[in-house]
Amino acid sequence: MENTLLVGLSRQMTLERQMDVVANNVANVNTSGYKADKSLFQEYLKSGAHEDNFVGADRVVSYVQDRGTFKDFTQGATEQTKNPLDVAVDGGGFLVVQTPAGERYTRDGGLQINNQGQLVTAAGNPVLGNSGPIVFQPTDHDVSIAADGNITVLEGINRIDSVRGKLRLVSFAQAQALLKDGSNLYSAGGGAAAQPDTASKVKQGFIEKSNVNSVLEMSRMIEVTRTYTQISNLLQQQSDLHKSAIEKLADVPA
Amino acid sequence: MRALYTAATGMAAQELNVQVISNNIANLRTTGYKKQRAAFQDLIYEHVRRVGAQASDQGTILPVGVDIGGGVKTVGTPRLMTQGSLSATGNDLDVAIRGEGFFKIQMPDGSYTYTRDGTFQMDAQGRVVNAQGNPVQPTITIPQNASGITINAQGQLSVTLPGSSTPTTVGQIGLTRFINKAGLQPIGDNLFTETPASGAPQDGIANTDGYGDMQQSNLEQANVEVVSEISDLIAAQRAYEMNAKVISATDQMLQSTAALFR
Repeated sequence: MENTLLVGLSRQMTLERQMDVVANNVANVNTSGYKADKSLFQEYLKSGAHEDNFVGADRVVSYVQDRGTFKDFTQGATEQTKNPLDVAVDGGGFLVVQTPAGERYTRDGGLQINNQGQLVTAAGNPVLGNSGPIVFQPTDHDVSIAADGNITVLEGINRIDSVRGKLRLVSFAQAQALLKDGSNLYSAGGGAAAQPDTASKVKQGFIEKSNVNSVLEMSRMIEVTRTYTQISNLLQQQSDLHKSAIEKLADVPA
Repeated sequence: MRALYTAATGMAAQELNVQVISNNIANLRTTGYKKQRAAFQDLIYEHVRRVGAQASDQGTILPVGVDIGGGVKTVGTPRLMTQGSLSATGNDLDVAIRGEGFFKIQMPDGSYTYTRDGTFQMDAQGRVVNAQGNPVQPTITIPQNASGITINAQGQLSVTLPGSSTPTTVGQIGLTRFINKAGLQPIGDNLFTETPASGAPQDGIANTDGYGDMQQSNLEQANVEVVSEISDLIAAQRAYEMNAKVISATDQMLQSTAALFR
């Protein structure tokens, strides 16, 4: 008899988690390079507490479990910023970032230059080129980043481009195996090995926006809320049933 | 439920976004103003089921994990140091920089500040000063009876003195650049100060060695583009509303739980 409660509870707990995922997507609707998370559920079969409640084959109770959140790696919209240090990656590639914890990967191309002239992310971690960090000279101006990631500048009074490096782009055969680290960074978890990516293109002066589809998230949010409320009602009815059963069955006539 | 707090971080971030955008719009007509933008990053994740974990002793691994994120944070409000458009003013002492570099201004306490605002004037002693009356560096004094002020692309200021047909150079306005000009700290009045992030100031001469050139009788307009600011403002407002909706939806879920088993 208690199975209704437990099955309902298993669904409500997954719905709460799904709501957390939706809330995180909505909170990051304006985060550059953010990739939305989606929830996956699976049926979880378990033999009931009181198996004699059922006859024949209907001896298992089906619970719900959240099996995973998968990352939606579709391309986000790109916005023109005209900032020479903004790059949007067009394709499945990632920029490589040197952090104190090791190499990390990002799609957020809002880059800066630090006080040593290194090309860094907004958080100050160096962005790696094919041969280490990309360093600018004090007299460099008119930075130009080509579609293949090649970075050239005009140095001082020179009218000929000097090469400062080439952005390293990597892709993953199994991008789902990447682990979100926060701060717009991904780390390569088990089974994900970074491969050099030559197919992706870099667009200078553009920023890749978050790929969160706000209409979709809002409808999902309503769906979650309604389902949650329905289950609450179900639990309430189950409880009422219980209550009346106890009252009627244990009603000793005076 | 975590969703409440996650949505709250989203609302706080969008509030800051609107603040930054409104400051940009307010400074639409500020000479030498450089627009800012709010840069956001996702917060830490809780890896409830870690992706890539061993799913069995046969070596199979979980293809996806359960990652629950905690919202959004503001990582900074970087300034976009792109060139603003020049507008002719006809005023002799208005100077615009086309390219790299900042004017260097000496403050009353002796420290130096940097600006792209070339609205200069002459003070009672004939010195070239900015709109607050602080001298432009190196200090240039224009003789009292001088006329016909010209400033060339290198910043050389020359005047015509009475009884002379050839112009006399009285000084040269210098330029200063920083390796990370976006790291300068704004202090208001269109002025910036040096910070550890900007790197040390490098003084130089306009139109040489990668420094920009000077345009007399011009002023540099703000680099704010009103169309992109308005569209960003709409996006920020909608994002704020959506986060508020998440809070009320979460609240409904909690209410339905609280209403159980009265």
